[in-house]
Amino acid sequence: MSDRTDSTLIPQDAEAPSGSRRRFLKTTGLSALGAMLGMAVPFERNLPAGFVPAALAQDAGLDLMAGKQGLVVLGDRPLNAETPAHLLDDDVTPYERLFVRMNGLVPQTALDQDAEGWVLTVDGEVETPLELTIDELKSRFETVTRRLVIECGGNGRAFFQPGTSGNQWTVGAVGCPEWTGVRLADVLKEAGVKETAVYTGHYGNDVHLSGDEEKEVISRGVPIEKALEEDAVIAWAMNGAPLPALHGFPLRLIVPGYPASVSQKYLNRIRVRDREHDGAKMTGDSYRIPAYPIAPGTEVPEEDMVVLTEMPVKSIVTFPETGAEVKAGEAVEVRGHAWCGKGDVAAVHVSLDFGQTWQEAALEPAPNRFAWQRWRANLTLPQHGYYEVWARAVDQDGIGQPPLSPVWNPRGYANNIQHRIALVAVA
Amino acid sequence: MFDIVTKLAAGLAVLVLGTGPAAAEARLDPMSALAGRPAGANPLDPMAAIRARADAGAARAGNEEFGGLPDGAGAEETYYQCVACHSTEIIKQQRVTDHRWDELWTWMVEAQGMVEPEPETKALILTYLKTNFSSER
Repeated sequence: MSDRTDSTLIPQDAEAPSGSRRRFLKTTGLSALGAMLGMAVPFERNLPAGFVPAALAQDAGLDLMAGKQGLVVLGDRPLNAETPAHLLDDDVTPYERLFVRMNGLVPQTALDQDAEGWVLTVDGEVETPLELTIDELKSRFETVTRRLVIECGGNGRAFFQPGTSGNQWTVGAVGCPEWTGVRLADVLKEAGVKETAVYTGHYGNDVHLSGDEEKEVISRGVPIEKALEEDAVIAWAMNGAPLPALHGFPLRLIVPGYPASVSQKYLNRIRVRDREHDGAKMTGDSYRIPAYPIAPGTEVPEEDMVVLTEMPVKSIVTFPETGAEVKAGEAVEVRGHAWCGKGDVAAVHVSLDFGQTWQEAALEPAPNRFAWQRWRANLTLPQHGYYEVWARAVDQDGIGQPPLSPVWNPRGYANNIQHRIALVAVA
Repeated sequence: MFDIVTKLAAGLAVLVLGTGPAAAEARLDPMSALAGRPAGANPLDPMAAIRARADAGAARAGNEEFGGLPDGAGAEETYYQCVACHSTEIIKQQRVTDHRWDELWTWMVEAQGMVEPEPETKALILTYLKTNFSSER
């Protein structure tokens, strides 16, 4: 990077920045760099010469992708990346293979792994508002370690037709790491939840894409009854190490069973509300679905949209990788995971003949509620040729995964279509 | 400033060298057919999606100068309007209705603080988006 090029990064002449910007783009041909430069454009008329917008100085987190293995990057700003199904075979999802879903930019405190002076505020409809340091969280409450599934509400969006807006996740915006922290319920009880409490509102310190430090990136919540169940944790560690920068350092919520957007990263405040929370991405179409089934591609009045809560039952095939060759006439182990927003999964079935016949897979119990469950099936492909393995999990109420996308919704949430892989049997 | 550029360049190398969708395309994957987007198909015919030609929304060759957006009237305006907040990657993934593009525009202005351009520029950009990233055509 030459000094000459670098000097064109910041328009020196607010009247005519466009030429230098264009020259720079042509010089580098790097689209991400171009994106960073382009960022100044809408505001340039208002900027003093040489001013660097905050967002330009803040990191989307892309360079941290060097520490991930095999993820497919859907977007670089904000950073969003999913994991191919065959890389999700571990019982406990390692850091390298956990999907990334950023709504904004990674805060500097997380990039620096600097938790100095971090305080979690618990206020709103509580008897005793709390201000807790991380050390106080660790000393005043019982520490728990649990495997909890975290799944983006839009996982499976790519399969809705017609298309719905947002990142086109296929099946890999999900993982099941091991989280260490304290129970959300214990902290709420310590603060004393008032009769008037209806909902929680979660806040973090991530940075809005526009760089506007006053703007909330995302602030979602859950019904107080859900928050007071014993499953949710305020975590400071993932897989035995401090939370990574991309996953919420130094504190985050994990509220299992609900779309992962309620599991606030970079957590610094929980405000107990006397009504449904109305923070960023709680309202409008965000994480909302129609209150009744609608025809694909149709619109819904805003008042008929309701908050998405429990995620539907789901499973993936993690081994073999789709397209694998196997020997005809010999048993091959096919395996994966199954999970459900209501808790444990009741059964998993697999089909080798495009759904004409199904056989039950062996399903292991969850090590704790809301962990994903390992399933395995030994399949013998009778002769050479092309086969598909379809997997179908069923929840405790007998509700299973559909072979095609479930009912369409405008933002493409909660798609639990059966996962299929191809197997090629050779003689 | 300089170190931001260095950092970005390092990140970009990851994006370019990383296992993008290209690496996976060669493998047989039954899910790819299910992600097909039948542009213009009647959304009220449930069988249409199933028989549609798979078009997983793979990016057409775009103009590198504009973040890979396809050339056409409004490409440049769209690029500079949008990358103020996000990269073009999220745009290129979309195949949505005209109505949804209008809704998204309103949401970006009202909820996300997007600076709205002159009405002619707005019309040009929305027409560009509806033309190139549509579930209707």
